[in-house]
Amino acid sequence: MTSAEKRKATESIEAWLYLAPALAILCTFWFLPIIISLLMSFGNITALKPMDQMAFVGVRQYTDALRSSEFHQSLWNTVNYALYAVPVTITLAMLIAMTLNGRMKGRGIFRTIFFLPYITTWVAVSIVFKYLFDREYGIGNWLLEVISLDILGMESAYRLNWLAEPRGIWELFLLNPLGIQVGRMPLGIDNLVKGPSLSLACVIATSVWRDVGYAMVIILAGLQNIDRSLYEAASIDGAGPLQKFRAITFPLLSPVTFFILTISMIGAFKVFIPQFMMTPTGGPDNTTTPMVMYLYEQGFTGEWKLSYAAAVAYILTLIILALTLFQNRLLGKRVEYGH
Amino acid sequence: MGALILAQAPATGGNPLLQAVVALVILANFAAIVVLYLCSTSRASDSPTQKRGSIAGAFLKYEVLLFGAVVMLLPFYWMIVTAFKDGQTAAAFPPVWTPSRIATKAPDPKTGEMIRVVPLGTAQRTGEQVRVVPYDNMVFRRVQESDFSVTKEIPDPDFVFLSDPALFQTDSVISLDLKNFRRAWYRPEESSRGQVNFQTYFAVSIISSLLATVGTLITSALAAFAFARLVFWGKTYLFYIVLATMMVPGQVLLIPNFLILSSIGWLDTWAALVVPWLASVFTIFLMRQFFMTIPEDLWDAARIDGASRFRYLWQVVVPLSRPVFVTAGIFDFLNNWNSLLWPLIVTSTPRMRTLMVGLQNLNDDAGAEFHILMAASCFAVLPVVLVFFFLQRFFIEGIARTGLK
Repeated sequence: MTSAEKRKATESIEAWLYLAPALAILCTFWFLPIIISLLMSFGNITALKPMDQMAFVGVRQYTDALRSSEFHQSLWNTVNYALYAVPVTITLAMLIAMTLNGRMKGRGIFRTIFFLPYITTWVAVSIVFKYLFDREYGIGNWLLEVISLDILGMESAYRLNWLAEPRGIWELFLLNPLGIQVGRMPLGIDNLVKGPSLSLACVIATSVWRDVGYAMVIILAGLQNIDRSLYEAASIDGAGPLQKFRAITFPLLSPVTFFILTISMIGAFKVFIPQFMMTPTGGPDNTTTPMVMYLYEQGFTGEWKLSYAAAVAYILTLIILALTLFQNRLLGKRVEYGH
Repeated sequence: MGALILAQAPATGGNPLLQAVVALVILANFAAIVVLYLCSTSRASDSPTQKRGSIAGAFLKYEVLLFGAVVMLLPFYWMIVTAFKDGQTAAAFPPVWTPSRIATKAPDPKTGEMIRVVPLGTAQRTGEQVRVVPYDNMVFRRVQESDFSVTKEIPDPDFVFLSDPALFQTDSVISLDLKNFRRAWYRPEESSRGQVNFQTYFAVSIISSLLATVGTLITSALAAFAFARLVFWGKTYLFYIVLATMMVPGQVLLIPNFLILSSIGWLDTWAALVVPWLASVFTIFLMRQFFMTIPEDLWDAARIDGASRFRYLWQVVVPLSRPVFVTAGIFDFLNNWNSLLWPLIVTSTPRMRTLMVGLQNLNDDAGAEFHILMAASCFAVLPVVLVFFFLQRFFIEGIARTGLK
């Protein structure tokens, strides 16, 4: 062995020693469980059948899950949540960030205020918002009453059921007032038309409130990284604010936007505390229960169907993985990293 | 008791003052938008036009920001102010916003005797037969047909309109005493749920979060150093494996980890709360990115001075990387502090309950006692907010940094 090779070998050993503590933990509590979980999902473990009596049942847990209407509902709730919470959060964050960008007084204070909700814990946030959306004592109905009675001068107050309202928001605020009743449509299109139930919309509003500051801080940092001279050049060429946004801000911000989109999408599929705390029973007609809450209910309460829950968890993982890859493929190409 | 006192209904048509304010705001916005549009399209770039345009722009900008700020801060305000209310006021509708005096007693119009009156919402809930609409500013509100439903048994003559606010006896309903906080703090003990209170919850949360955070920082710094600065066999593959685990949602690990912990007898112990969280892929990644920016020359210089790699890491890299340590530390701490599902599953006895699980229990327990719940929420929110104000720079810069790399 030459001395160079020897040095390389000792460096290798040293490197693995540095890695050892972290790897020991990661192997035991991350890598190994990923494999165990996969094995379990092909078995039939419940509270009555512990690990050592496990029999392999093939993909039965998966087919059971995919056939279960409760699972479908929780999957749809999760998708619905992500479909509304993520775009609304990012759009609002972008608007706030662009308002805060540039020379202005009080930017630091506003940035702090908008960021403040993000550091508060989900559990407490959910309790507070459950109160705000309370049917009898909440601020939501009070605001509606002020608007309807005091401002519009109506005869009686307009009230909503908030967290107990199973009707979708489009159904409630758009279609029903127009006299349109949504019946059953094929492929669950009716669910898409109805929109998330008002109770899920309350959860979405809560999470937008909490997360908008996080996205805003990242976008603001991205905006401040854009070269000012580009805007000056565009101004000289006579570009208006909209043109500047389309030609400079949006393309140059796209890596940052893409990063937030990916992170928030993955996050949205894992959120469960607000649903769990604000609607412990899963909301009206089960319209809030996300997949993670369904998984918890199946695996850790009642019959403790651990194998079934593991299968659900794997389906969730596959969805998240597919979504991430899809976003990378489809949107990643359009992101402009140059400059 | 027994008399039904109704506030005099104001003439329908709403509150003129409020309507005027709303109309003014709408008009001002409309004017600002028109001015802004005219100034942006006009070719003349003389300074008065520009100035007018920028004033209108600033007006709209600050208006939007102020509205947003109010929306962001309102839940905090509501949480804190409710924590100082008594139970009845917390369940009052319309809500009481400021420390104020509201009517608690009023003379019975027939006998002149002072009788207790309660806010509208409360009366509905408890089915009490006395109701009045007491306000600090004494603006009376209509009472609707639907409000009468619980008091149907009261005969008509008892419907009395009381129009003179001066007759009310008022009491302060938001008082600066810590009664609710004390009750929330000891509530778990009072309920059937056990022998501990929030003191235990806090201790468990702080100790386990701190241990996990410090441990994660140490293991991650070592691993990140290897990834950033050392050449070793299997580096690329290992790095990809580590990155790939970031995509796996933690929920997948929940069930097997529960089984692993139960098979080694760690359920309901400190180890269950701490050990699995002693390493974090995200922190390793964050630190590696930072370590890569430290110039290689420093290592050459240290080597010439005879320093070992470990000493170089400890005495050069770590001090230089203080910002990333603070950022990662904040993230790890908050992650542990905020987690609910994990402690909910791996612990079962009250003495191992974390703050979040305690809060969740209290939510089940005191579902309608909002004043107690808000006081308890303050326990979970205010310490973190306090720390945030001291470490704000690191929070915000750290998050901004994750987006740019």
